Amino acid sequence: MFGTELQLTLLLLIPGFGALVIAFVPSRKIHLLRGTSLFFTSLTFLYSLLFFTHFDPGAETMQFVQKVPWLNVGVLHIHYHVGMDGISLFLVILTTFLMPLTILASWGIEKKVRPYMFFMLLLEVGMIGVFVSLDLILFYIFWEITLIPMYFLIGVWGGKRRVYAAVKFFIYTMAGSLLMLAAILTLYFFNEAQNFDLVEITQRLSLNQIILPFPVELLLFLAFFLAFAVKVPIFPFHTWLPDAHVEAPTAASVILAGVMLKMGTYGLLRFCLPMFPSASAALAPAISLLAIVGIIYGALVALVQTDVKKLVAYSSVSHMGFVVLGIFAFNLQSIEGATFQMLSHGLSTGALFLLVGMLYDRRHTHLIQDFGGLAHVMPRLAAFFMFIMLSSIGLPGLNGFVGEFLILQGTFLEHAGRAAFAASGIVLSAIYMLWVYQRVFMGAVQNDQNRTLTDLNFRETVILVPIVLLVVWMGLHPSTFLRRMDTSVQKVVDRIEQVREPQIYRVEYRGH
Amino acid sequence: MDINYTAILPEIMLSLVGICIMLLIPFVPRERQTHLGYLALAGIVLAFFGVAMGWGQTDLAFSEMIFQDDFGQFSKIFFLFVSTVILLISMNYLEQEKLFQGEFFVLLLFATVGMLFMATSADLIMTFLGLEVLSISTYILAGFKERERKSSEAAWKYFLLGAFSTAFLLYGIAFVYGATGSTKYLQIAEAIQASPDYSLILFVGLGLMMVGFGFKVALAPFHAWTPDVYEGAPIPITALLAVASKGAALLALVRILYQVFPDLSQQWQAILWPMAVMTMAIGNIAALTQSNIKRMLAYSSIAHAGYLLVGLTAHNPLATQGILFYLVAYAFMTLGALIVVQIVGRREEQHTTIEDYNGIGYRYPFLGIALSVFLISLAGIPATAGFMGKLFVFSAAVQSQMYGLVVIALVTSAIGLYYYLRVIVSMYMGEFKTEKIPITISMPLRIILTLLVLGTLYLGILPGSLLNLAEEAASF
Amino acid sequence: MVDITHYLVLSTIVFSIGVVGVLTRRNVIIILMSIELMLNSVNLNLVAFSDQLQDPSGQVFAIFVITVAAAEAAVGLGIIIALFRNKETVNVDEIDLMRG
Repeated sequence: MFGTELQLTLLLLIPGFGALVIAFVPSRKIHLLRGTSLFFTSLTFLYSLLFFTHFDPGAETMQFVQKVPWLNVGVLHIHYHVGMDGISLFLVILTTFLMPLTILASWGIEKKVRPYMFFMLLLEVGMIGVFVSLDLILFYIFWEITLIPMYFLIGVWGGKRRVYAAVKFFIYTMAGSLLMLAAILTLYFFNEAQNFDLVEITQRLSLNQIILPFPVELLLFLAFFLAFAVKVPIFPFHTWLPDAHVEAPTAASVILAGVMLKMGTYGLLRFCLPMFPSASAALAPAISLLAIVGIIYGALVALVQTDVKKLVAYSSVSHMGFVVLGIFAFNLQSIEGATFQMLSHGLSTGALFLLVGMLYDRRHTHLIQDFGGLAHVMPRLAAFFMFIMLSSIGLPGLNGFVGEFLILQGTFLEHAGRAAFAASGIVLSAIYMLWVYQRVFMGAVQNDQNRTLTDLNFRETVILVPIVLLVVWMGLHPSTFLRRMDTSVQKVVDRIEQVREPQIYRVEYRGH
Repeated sequence: MDINYTAILPEIMLSLVGICIMLLIPFVPRERQTHLGYLALAGIVLAFFGVAMGWGQTDLAFSEMIFQDDFGQFSKIFFLFVSTVILLISMNYLEQEKLFQGEFFVLLLFATVGMLFMATSADLIMTFLGLEVLSISTYILAGFKERERKSSEAAWKYFLLGAFSTAFLLYGIAFVYGATGSTKYLQIAEAIQASPDYSLILFVGLGLMMVGFGFKVALAPFHAWTPDVYEGAPIPITALLAVASKGAALLALVRILYQVFPDLSQQWQAILWPMAVMTMAIGNIAALTQSNIKRMLAYSSIAHAGYLLVGLTAHNPLATQGILFYLVAYAFMTLGALIVVQIVGRREEQHTTIEDYNGIGYRYPFLGIALSVFLISLAGIPATAGFMGKLFVFSAAVQSQMYGLVVIALVTSAIGLYYYLRVIVSMYMGEFKTEKIPITISMPLRIILTLLVLGTLYLGILPGSLLNLAEEAASF
Repeated sequence: MVDITHYLVLSTIVFSIGVVGVLTRRNVIIILMSIELMLNSVNLNLVAFSDQLQDPSGQVFAIFVITVAAAEAAVGLGIIIALFRNKETVNVDEIDLMRG
């Protein structure tokens, strides 16, 4: 199959087929259901690695493309158009990588296993679809489809206030993206070629074959931006996030933080910047300001949390602020850093949620005060937590450092002040992370219930080890990743440069 | 006189079978009268053949009274399909409620005749007759549970506002006739085109006609009867009113506005624009607080009429296509949702509050999945027919550069998400209460529901085939 | 000379009386009569226009309206009787089972 037009479609079909199989497995055979989902998600992951090995880092265009007409009626022309470039490649692999791990982490789900696994696989189809679709309508469809399984995952398998959190999540993100649909349609009728093809629209825009008056461009940008800002979430659109994260089951939290938030920043990078460069440039100061506020606000709120899961959730707000800041600094370092940071945040925050989930499985609480001195009882869990936490803080040699460093460097070239403020976020993140580690794992065991806790079992170790390996790899050898992003990111940067004043500081940057 | 029977073959067949059933009723024992439904079904099947015989022909038959064109054929197939579904569910319903009266089927067939005439009429007299045949039948059907106060009340309210609105419509028609000298669609259109200085009488006539149709389609501010009537009427009749009656009035309106008054489009767009906004806003906002699911679906149907109106206001070929597609999508999901409501309602429709749906999703997975698909589609979430319908209708409005209207439509559909989700929440996240009467799903209903679910998903993923049909139908 | 305007004014007055009657009266029978009044004003209009235009279709239309009005009245009275059996009232204010 690989090498044919269908190669990327197959990536969507494997989990889709898995979901179909799950639907026909008898609901009482819990082990079979788990095994089947694990099999299909692992298969998807292994298959997605082929894209990594076959990826051509130098290619200017989209790769693994398939384009077939889907709807050709009257003036509406919608295509099934999928493809990958250096930005989406890694996000797809991040998705397929995290999925089997989250399935493994869902062993604790014992009621309604069949619909749970079904929704997990459906979610995977949706997420991969978001990252590979190159037709605006197709993208919108996948974008919305991801909401349904996530809504059910939170609402059915979540914590005490699950219904509230699920509905809030759904309404916020859906309402945010509806205006995007209006913008897509408007853009369509400005495009004389009359299609929804992202590649073609971007090209025609850059050749001035589609002329958007600046106010129109600004409005379209804002409509897209709102959809993505809710998802990222950029301050002040973040209020759904803590609720959703706290109530969601562990696997859903991991996916939400690990992949779904990236859909927002991916959207900014893939749609907002190339299609509306003037508007992006004009609004960059304001958006960067929001990003910096988010970085600092998220960190400060995380500092005062009494609930570990909420703390990790707010730390996401802070970290995603870095990504947005990097994207809107418009140079190769910053955007590449942002893309890299998306991946490393996906890994480390995903892992933190997994660890918090493992704690919760044992103690059925997220409150920091209920813990204390756990390092004595669960040395392995404490070690993993320490390691992931360091990666999240940005310890040199681990993945978090590379992304944040590139973002700050790039932002500094653009605007030194912004970089200075953003850097304070890193300091704060070190404070809240180390402080929570101290309160949870260090000291003597206060609570008697904590004395009898068991350490990580084999399954849990299997979940964490691949993440740790990848964290080290990304930290020590980032060029594996950066090399493949170069061309694609450079294209985005060139597109922005096309409409901006030439910059004085343009440092040529070569990998690592 | 050019008499072309193929143009009204389906109507003739339905009427004949209806009359036959009427004559048979005295000879059939009461408790077996629901079997007459099969005869009615045969009538509808014959009518399908009737449509097939006239397929592809275009004509202006009976002294320019009846159009025979693609739009008409499309509408006929649509109404016959809706009637088939309603007939099948009402057979089940009558059995369950022990309403052994064959007249039900007769009235249903006559109502269908009325719809077909409305969609194909080429003369305001014909439109009026079609409308009345439809309305009078449905007045009776709405009050069919004569021993129940709710049902009689529904019939009365529907009758009162129906007759009231018909008077407005007729008054408008009289003015249009006076201003243009004809009641025939094409001649009116010619007369309007010939004399561009429009008289006041013409505008008054157009305005009054829109009021009349506004009542029938349930557009704000003429929607007030809808929730009461939909709640009180027997469920199959609620479906008939919500889908077929609304659809017939809407298609007649499409023809009148696009074919008779295209030159006055600026004027009627100015009326429709605020009506669309109000309809969408009122429908969606009022639905938020409903605790009875029938009532909620009534408001939701008002909201959907608003989305259809967005398409109608846009006035371009894509809009007609979008309206036809949306109507079919709307029929699929609304019929489906109401069938589930009927099944869950059980005898005497005792279980129609949203709390009655608590935990249904696990106890009855089939019903849960079906209703979820219909609600998700009604909410307009991708991969369902409802999304595609909205996409086409809204893109038509964008094409006509009605950005404000589209933004309002999107905002109101965001509000709509909440109440559709509420039912899903109670189905999957509520606690199941032990029930006195278990829910039973008869085989025909199970098959219909399965087909409707598959149809909703199919139209959401591969809308092309229907859209091509709609494209042909949209060229008058 | 009685020209078309007089007929139109008369029909408008009759129609308005009908509308006001439907909206303000509480007795269902009187409401039914008011609707008849509205339909009759339509007939007046149609016939007047038909005469002015020298075109018979207006009169044909009027005959259809009369016929249909009769059918409608029959159904309306039937519904009122069903309602009266269930409720024993002809006052619309008491027809209020459903609210919201």
